[in-house]
Amino acid sequence: MNIYVKLAYTFLGLMIVLNWGMLMGATMRKIGARVAGRHGIPFKQPWIDLFKNIGVRTTITHGIMYYIGPVFRLTGGVGLFLFMPAVFSGSPYGIWTNFSFEGDLILILYFQVFGMLGMALGAGEGGHPYAAMGIARGLAQHAAVELPLTLAFLSIAIQYDTFSVYKIVEAQQGGFQNWVLFTNPFAAAAVILAMLGALGHSPFNLVKAPNEILIGPATEYEGSYLGFMQSAGAIIHVMEAMLFMNLVFGGATNWFELILKTFLIYFWSVFVGIVFPRFKIEQSVTWFFKVPLLLGVLAILMYSF
Amino acid sequence: MEQLDLGHISLAIGFLLILIGFWGLLTQKNIIKIIVAFTILDTGINILIVSLGYIVGKTAPIVDNSVEQLENHNVVNSIVDPVPQALVLTAIVIGFGVTALMLAYAMKLFNAKKTLEINKFNDLKW
Amino acid sequence: MVTPIFIVAIALGVGFSIGVLNKLGKNFTGGLVLAAITFMTFISYQWFYAFTFGEQTPTYVYTAGFKPPFSINLLMGQYEAIITLMINSIGLLGGIYMFNSLKERGSNAQVVYLILIMALNVIVMTRDVFNLFVFLEISSIAIAGLILLEKGTRSMGAGFKYVLATSIISSILLIGIIFSYFITGTLNVDDFISLSISTYKGGAIVVFLIMIAVILELKPFPANGWGLDVYEGSDPGFSAIISGASATASLYVLYKIMAFAGVEWNYYISLIGIVTFVGSNLLGIKQENTRRMLGYSSIGQVGLLMVILGFKDILGENTPYIFFGILISHYLAKAGLFWLSGIVRAKGLKEWAVIRKKPFFLFLMGTFIFALIGFPPFPSFFAKWTLVMDLVQSGNIVWVAAILFGSIMEAVYLFRWFGYAIKEENKHLEDFKIEIHKIIPVWIVAIALYGFGYFVSQLTEVSSTINFIPFAFVILLFAIDFLPIFVKNTVAILGMAFYFYTIYPQLDNFRLIFEVIFIVGGILALIAGYAYKGKREGFYPVAILMYAGLTGIIEAKTTLEFFYGWELMTAGSYFLIIRGHRSMPHGLSYMLFSLGGAYAILAAFGIASVGQDSISMSIINNIQYIPTWAYALLIVGFLTKTASVGLHIWLPGAHGEAESDVSPMVSAILLKAGVFGVALTLIGMGAENNQYSVLAYTLGWIGAITALVGNLMAVFQEDAKRLLAYSSIGQLGYIVFGLAMMTHLGWLGGFSYVINHFLYKAILFLTIGAVVLRVGTHNMYEMGGLIKRMPLAFIAVLIGIIALSGVPPLSGFTGKWLFYNAVLDKGWYLQGAIMFFSGGIAFLYLWRLIHTVFLGQLKDNHRTVKEISIWFLIPIYTLIVGILVYSAKPQWILQPLAEIIAPFFPSNQLVWNGGTAISHYGNWAGTMVMAIIGIAFLAVLGVQLISTRKAHKVKQFDITYAGERPERPETTHVAYNVFEGLYKAMWPATIPLVETFWNKITNYLHDTAGFTRRIYSGNGQAYMLHIVFFILVTYLVIIGG
Repeated sequence: MNIYVKLAYTFLGLMIVLNWGMLMGATMRKIGARVAGRHGIPFKQPWIDLFKNIGVRTTITHGIMYYIGPVFRLTGGVGLFLFMPAVFSGSPYGIWTNFSFEGDLILILYFQVFGMLGMALGAGEGGHPYAAMGIARGLAQHAAVELPLTLAFLSIAIQYDTFSVYKIVEAQQGGFQNWVLFTNPFAAAAVILAMLGALGHSPFNLVKAPNEILIGPATEYEGSYLGFMQSAGAIIHVMEAMLFMNLVFGGATNWFELILKTFLIYFWSVFVGIVFPRFKIEQSVTWFFKVPLLLGVLAILMYSF
Repeated sequence: MEQLDLGHISLAIGFLLILIGFWGLLTQKNIIKIIVAFTILDTGINILIVSLGYIVGKTAPIVDNSVEQLENHNVVNSIVDPVPQALVLTAIVIGFGVTALMLAYAMKLFNAKKTLEINKFNDLKW
Repeated sequence: MVTPIFIVAIALGVGFSIGVLNKLGKNFTGGLVLAAITFMTFISYQWFYAFTFGEQTPTYVYTAGFKPPFSINLLMGQYEAIITLMINSIGLLGGIYMFNSLKERGSNAQVVYLILIMALNVIVMTRDVFNLFVFLEISSIAIAGLILLEKGTRSMGAGFKYVLATSIISSILLIGIIFSYFITGTLNVDDFISLSISTYKGGAIVVFLIMIAVILELKPFPANGWGLDVYEGSDPGFSAIISGASATASLYVLYKIMAFAGVEWNYYISLIGIVTFVGSNLLGIKQENTRRMLGYSSIGQVGLLMVILGFKDILGENTPYIFFGILISHYLAKAGLFWLSGIVRAKGLKEWAVIRKKPFFLFLMGTFIFALIGFPPFPSFFAKWTLVMDLVQSGNIVWVAAILFGSIMEAVYLFRWFGYAIKEENKHLEDFKIEIHKIIPVWIVAIALYGFGYFVSQLTEVSSTINFIPFAFVILLFAIDFLPIFVKNTVAILGMAFYFYTIYPQLDNFRLIFEVIFIVGGILALIAGYAYKGKREGFYPVAILMYAGLTGIIEAKTTLEFFYGWELMTAGSYFLIIRGHRSMPHGLSYMLFSLGGAYAILAAFGIASVGQDSISMSIINNIQYIPTWAYALLIVGFLTKTASVGLHIWLPGAHGEAESDVSPMVSAILLKAGVFGVALTLIGMGAENNQYSVLAYTLGWIGAITALVGNLMAVFQEDAKRLLAYSSIGQLGYIVFGLAMMTHLGWLGGFSYVINHFLYKAILFLTIGAVVLRVGTHNMYEMGGLIKRMPLAFIAVLIGIIALSGVPPLSGFTGKWLFYNAVLDKGWYLQGAIMFFSGGIAFLYLWRLIHTVFLGQLKDNHRTVKEISIWFLIPIYTLIVGILVYSAKPQWILQPLAEIIAPFFPSNQLVWNGGTAISHYGNWAGTMVMAIIGIAFLAVLGVQLISTRKAHKVKQFDITYAGERPERPETTHVAYNVFEGLYKAMWPATIPLVETFWNKITNYLHDTAGFTRRIYSGNGQAYMLHIVFFILVTYLVIIGG
């Protein structure tokens, strides 16, 4: 495939993901509002926010790191998309596999942190205590989530003898009975529980804790920066759901399947979030060290003997 | 049963004195008494030395008239072993030196603390 | 040739004539005594020379015109010549040292001193047991008499106890002697030998009595309270003579007696020796009084020498080498220390801090202590090496363990003492005075220690191959220590660079990696030294000492050379570490763990040499005898340097408190020495050999747990350098884990980490160290917002933490990716998961490091601090270039690495397709990934630049928080205890179990020592009772048992 065509498709895919992420976010907020008995925001609200933010006439800067923090964040989101095979089409070099052939699952796992780190540093230079508090909480929770997730991912990698996300998706083709969800239930269960933390909804939303530390890391950001961050957030939400989809739920062979599956995955965390109140950080860390960790260990032990 | 000869008797006395000396060294608290105990021990050893060199019926290894008068002038067969006799002289001198040294210490120790109780001189320990 | 009888004659003659000549003044008589001893020394030397370089045969000297047994005869053989030379030399030096103090006591004291030396000579030479008794008594009386002539009352008690004890002992000896005459009719040692006295009826008892008396003269544990009191109480000059000359003579007596006692005694002598060695050194750790502590040490050393004598049949022709090697070191060093204690006049250990006011004395003290412990280049090092080798080869491993344990105990108190001297507060202490006649002997023994060290090393073939050039360079740096930093630093850097240039062609690739890290890394770290001002006394010799050791282990062709380098490195790094503020306890624990590790390595080398015909390094590839144990010992030894869990507690303090440019040396560079050792061991074990899989498996778990513990502890540190120190522990855990996998991928990952850790940890430690120099605190919560003042430092740390965390596209990801593949390949899933979890935890402390130091709120007192010094920036940015190159083109490093590893661990697990690494499990294109991320980043940045082109720069407090605009940074900077929530969840994992474990052991040892030493109640009768009990117990064991 011509590299320009490839780039064009990738860009198109990115746009789809961005817009779907925004729409999905709006949907979830609407669902939350309806459960609470409110009407909720219009579906177009994210786009309104985005254009408004980019359009504001005044922006400030606290310094260079503050300035490039959102760049890191958005690059993190975009990069994640670039390294993730989006839609399975039978070839690792298919039109919607982006640049996933340059790396594998490990690259994705570690690249996730790229945006987080950049944003954390940028917010840090802003000097707002809420930002630092949010980041500290976020990192702690992230570490706790990582343990069961890593175990589960390792288990899946052992199961299919590969770290290639593409190959894992490929191996799950041919009916839902081939999904990891059914072929490796312990790993799947661990992922399903741990991804609640990764997606960051209540009860695991102490990072942003809206009515406590404003919106945490992004507190000091406004204008275009915030727009960048919102865009990045939309992309990253979809990307995380997509990662779980690819690893556990058989991937997607077309965009419709992708949208449906990511919606359901995301909805799962929103569903839990609406039911359960927010955890303190020590509670959430301990929570991940109980059942999800146990499931993860079981998933590994299955292949250890 | 063999007759108890002089050699055995002195041997027994020597050992007895050694034991008494040890007992005194270990039990007496007064430094002077300890020194006395040491001299007893020393004496015991000296007696031991002499008695080990004793041969029944022989005379002292001093070549004088008493030996000259022997019938065949067989000096070697008529005197006791001379070496222990020589050794004991040296041992006595050494014992004397040690006793003197101890007494000098006793004097200095008494001057220092006005007491001769050995228990009181344990500034250096552990 | 002057016959040895003149030793006696001259002493007696001078002694008697002083009685007449004392009118001429005490200076004259004192000079006469010294002249006499000089002449005696000359006689011994003459014989020594004749034996060593000529064809001299042992010569008997007969007295009184009769042949034995009717007269006394003396023997002058080779050993007699050496020992009398030692006695007379120390007598001469001691006489010079005590010239004034003897003079104060009068001419009688001078005579007694002369007679003491003479008596010791006769003790050595005489072949007549009764004569032996007489001169033993004379020497005892002389010592007691000299003590008696001292001023003050403190030593009187000690002297009296000494007289009591020695008189009991000589009584026993006399009884034994008289019975020996009774049953054999002779008093001559040679006759005893030819008649084999122990076969006579009652012979065993006679031998027992003589033997036990001689052993008691050597102050065996625990019947030695009288000796300790004398060491503590008497003039240090006498203590030196007792320790150096008297004990040496007594040891030789033991040797003579052993000749007719029968071989069954050898075992018991060793047994008593080892009990003494371990027992006194154990009790030594509780001592606060210097001289008593030195007394314990002396007695312990004599115990060790007894062990050697007891093993003389097993050690065979090496016995003299070992015996004299240890004896000479002990004899010189202990005399030196006792003399020093007389000069410094500090009683308690902590008061020794005063010695620092005259740094040269500190150097002398260090020389003596290192010689006692057996560090290179001193004779004891080579002797101890040979001893351990021979003992292990003859299957006496338990003995080796006991000897090494005792040595560690000795190191505990000696190095604690040394630590006090280096670090304890000394402002309130009064400086000590120097009298020239007291210093000269100390200098002479110190120089002699170095001289003998070199001489001893040239005696055997294996030790003569040691490369002393780096060490000579250290000496050179000592010599120019008075010059300013700039000169010394330049000399050091040029020296290292030149050495690297000469050594470079001789190394294979595997060694070259480490040599580059050690030497090139060392040069980079030294460049930062230009930032310091003044002279920085003592820094360069010890830094180069460490590098000399490091290059020594790289170049080592034999296990001896390796061990030599290892010990040099330990000594150098110890001095480097202890230079830091508040680093005294850490320096000690570093030294103790290092020594423990070194001894484990030593024992392992011994085991490895069993059944081999050389001691080349290659023997560890093919260990014949109990190989699993040998490898385990090697690994434990090396893990002390990699600070793996259980053996890591020294590291945080040692690295955290070290100076700014020392931390990178001891962290980024020094730790790799342990890695090098582990790598050598694992290569030795071999990939194919399933026999050691349990060992490797355990090592893997150790690595994983170390990674977790290190990283987790780093998260909760408030001190920036401690944070980095704990981080090092964790990173080294990764490396150990990778190597333990013993697969191609595992090693590739491990080595990738070795290089990475060197790069980023050097960057981080250098930068943080430089920041600390600017802001004057280690506490991160006292910093903040420094990005505004030190942007270049910020960028350096940013790159460092990205590389460390493993976030693509920087080089840290290489290691992560390789590890994931290696873990899957090896099947160590759980350990692997722990490793990756640790990696996740690393983000926490890395963020904390960069945030609380550089981001957040700038403190008022830092508003004018400058960017870190250019001398730090140069090495830092050099290393950053390294990281960037490695990140952009990982294949440039990984491909050669793979070739290096391939001979040991077959390759084909990783294939390169251009810039893409392809494993069985996945692939990763380093260059492409970097390009993609770079392009995406620039694109996004472009968009942002356009949309925020009018961004308005705001000031520090232009935020609102808690409803107001803050005005003080302290209230707004989130830094202290930031991970409170995590701590609440994970505190059980941060309980310092290991530290508690070692503390318990320490306390237990201290309690045991504290309890046991109470048997030395200070009561003279109790001491006599000890002697009697000692005799009874020994009798029951040897004859009755």
